[in-house]
Amino acid sequence: MQTFPRPSAERLYVERQPVAATCPECGGSDIQAYPVLSEGGWWHVEKCQDCLASLTRVPAPALGSYVPLGTTVK
Amino acid sequence: MFGVDVGGTFTDVVAIRDGKVEVTKVPSSRIDPAGSVVEGARRLGVAGSAVFNHASTMGLNAVLERRLPKVAFLTTEGFRDILDRGTIHRPLDAQTDPAWRRSFGDAARPLVPRYLRRGIRERKTAQGETLFALDEAQARHELEILKRTEVQGVAICLINAYVDPEHELRLRELVHEVLPGVEVSISSQTSPLAKEYERASTTVIDVIMKLLFSDYAGQLDRELAGLGFDGQLNFADCAANLLPWQEALERPFRILFAGPAAGTVSSVHLGGVIGRGNILCADVGGTSTDVSIIVDGKPFVQNTFEIEHDLIINALSTEVSSVGAGGGSLVTVSTSGGILVGPGSAGAEPGPACYGRGGTQPTVTDAVLLMGVLDPNGFAGGEFELDASASEAAFLALDTPVSFEERVRTTYRLAVAHMAEEILNVAVRHGVDIRDFSLMAYGAAGGMLLPAALDLLPLKEVIVPPHPGLFSAIGLLSTDQVYYESESAYVVFGPDGIDDVAAVYERMEASLRARLGAAAEGLPVRRSFDGRLVGQSWEIPFVQIPDGPISAETLPAIAGAFHDAYEARNGNRFDTFPVEGVTYRVEIVVPAEKVEYELAPEVSPFPAAPEGMLTLRYVAAEPIQAEWFRRETLAPGASIAGPAVIRESLSTTYIPPGQQAVIGRAGEIIITEVAK
Repeated sequence: MQTFPRPSAERLYVERQPVAATCPECGGSDIQAYPVLSEGGWWHVEKCQDCLASLTRVPAPALGSYVPLGTTVK
Repeated sequence: MFGVDVGGTFTDVVAIRDGKVEVTKVPSSRIDPAGSVVEGARRLGVAGSAVFNHASTMGLNAVLERRLPKVAFLTTEGFRDILDRGTIHRPLDAQTDPAWRRSFGDAARPLVPRYLRRGIRERKTAQGETLFALDEAQARHELEILKRTEVQGVAICLINAYVDPEHELRLRELVHEVLPGVEVSISSQTSPLAKEYERASTTVIDVIMKLLFSDYAGQLDRELAGLGFDGQLNFADCAANLLPWQEALERPFRILFAGPAAGTVSSVHLGGVIGRGNILCADVGGTSTDVSIIVDGKPFVQNTFEIEHDLIINALSTEVSSVGAGGGSLVTVSTSGGILVGPGSAGAEPGPACYGRGGTQPTVTDAVLLMGVLDPNGFAGGEFELDASASEAAFLALDTPVSFEERVRTTYRLAVAHMAEEILNVAVRHGVDIRDFSLMAYGAAGGMLLPAALDLLPLKEVIVPPHPGLFSAIGLLSTDQVYYESESAYVVFGPDGIDDVAAVYERMEASLRARLGAAAEGLPVRRSFDGRLVGQSWEIPFVQIPDGPISAETLPAIAGAFHDAYEARNGNRFDTFPVEGVTYRVEIVVPAEKVEYELAPEVSPFPAAPEGMLTLRYVAAEPIQAEWFRRETLAPGASIAGPAVIRESLSTTYIPPGQQAVIGRAGEIIITEVAK
């Protein structure tokens, strides 16, 4: 049995958080932070929404938001 | 005549006047690369020279180190990651490694960052029909974004543009409108060949080279003119063919990798003079040994080459393979205590321990110095002294149970064995009998190490050319100007398709002759194609088309030429299978002025007079006495029995025991085994 309700939205998107910064590549101010799946696994990025340049790009957990129970038990 | 080889550390400048060779070395400068070339030209006096032939690794080093201008890549929407995926081939040692990544992929060091790779809505089919028209509004929107990011260059490679360039040409106009002053390369002009990945990577490299070389070449031309030079400035391409600099800059991806091929054409030229057609070429540098092959007087040319694994450029290039063993190769100790040589190198800085510039690890040069082959006071033309005590300390510091004598002896033998293995690999890969081949040994350390390869390989002989340390730079004065055009079209050779093939050749030949103008008058056009049997996905390159018209009547001869080339490469033939042409090429060779080797009259061998005796250590169980000679004093016919050492200002030749050297008619040293 699932422990979360069935989504009501037609499509699901990762949540994007606005970031107060200016893009060093194009000068745009619409910067958002969100996870992306790319070569090498998941990454936390802060991306300019105009030109898509990444302001920051750091490796995220390999399985995204899923954290296996065994990895947290001490 | 001037030949200039711009390396990462030094710029070698060679001038030949009245058969005499003059040389100077100038430190290369990253800040002002043209300045070091001009300085070398000024030192040797360039005024009045007929040609100034130039090869540079500047572009290659910029790509390898990713010191690149900011360029964008425009392609058909949905294809922007073709630059990232390459051909999907993995190297053998990465087949089972899930963490392996392409060196130019997004997770490593891409040539174009992903945000500068933009999809454009358009689509041509493989037959050249318009499936989707070019969406100019969307293209302008993407270009406005690129404008804000201040890109310096734009590479355009639309899918199937090699069949119909209409959309690429229009997109280039839009780039000029929205991004005035920005360099643009389009794939349908840079490399109008099938296979979109290779076409895309070639176009990206092309626009990068335009940005790197445009100002450089202009500055070089102006400053050489200021020194009184009014001859022809040529750039060498990846097969060491020469191109006038303005022509080279129209498609500068061809001049990315010019250095190593120059040694091969130098070998072709000298081989022609001394009557050797089958040659294995080995250029022993500080870090690596570059090996290439010449069969029947022709170097092995390939239609693509890789800068890094899978980073492919569609340029005609001389096939050169490298092994990480050279004069500066580091000596290390394996986990079991054995001696290892290479592939790491001490480079020019700090260099081998004996240079006294801070290097503490022993190298091959240190071993040869301890053996007594190198003259500690006459190294590199006497520019600096070698410190044998530093070499000894470096070998003593190795953490190994191997005795000191064995450390030095094994270092020398292993370095030679690594080189011999690569030479054998090249011979086996090309299916030739090594007993029919001479080994041309050059590079400053070539004569010092490679004669010993005769003990390991049944080669016919080893030849150490005159000026072995400058042999590659001399190669730039041993080659012709070669102009070519190529195009792709998948056509099955039959009565229906042969007229299309003829039309492609007529169009390319007219274009090439128009480009060259009067310079092409009276010169023949060489035609070749890359073809395959119908159903195959790889091609046999450079199938020569017989002279005369291309028509249904001559079709059997053309198909026969393909089957002959197929059999030569693969060992079998399938005459009943239809042939499909893929890429078609025309070429005009404009003869250029070359270095001339003076041939002395034939004389009977006579014993050479030595300068003195020296002691060689670690060659045999006990030290042995050997004669040494100055190369400048050795006349053609002079004969020397090993063990012996021949010294000249920039290099040393070591003849091991059991070998015999004779000075040839062009001044070359020909070394054979006495037992042969």
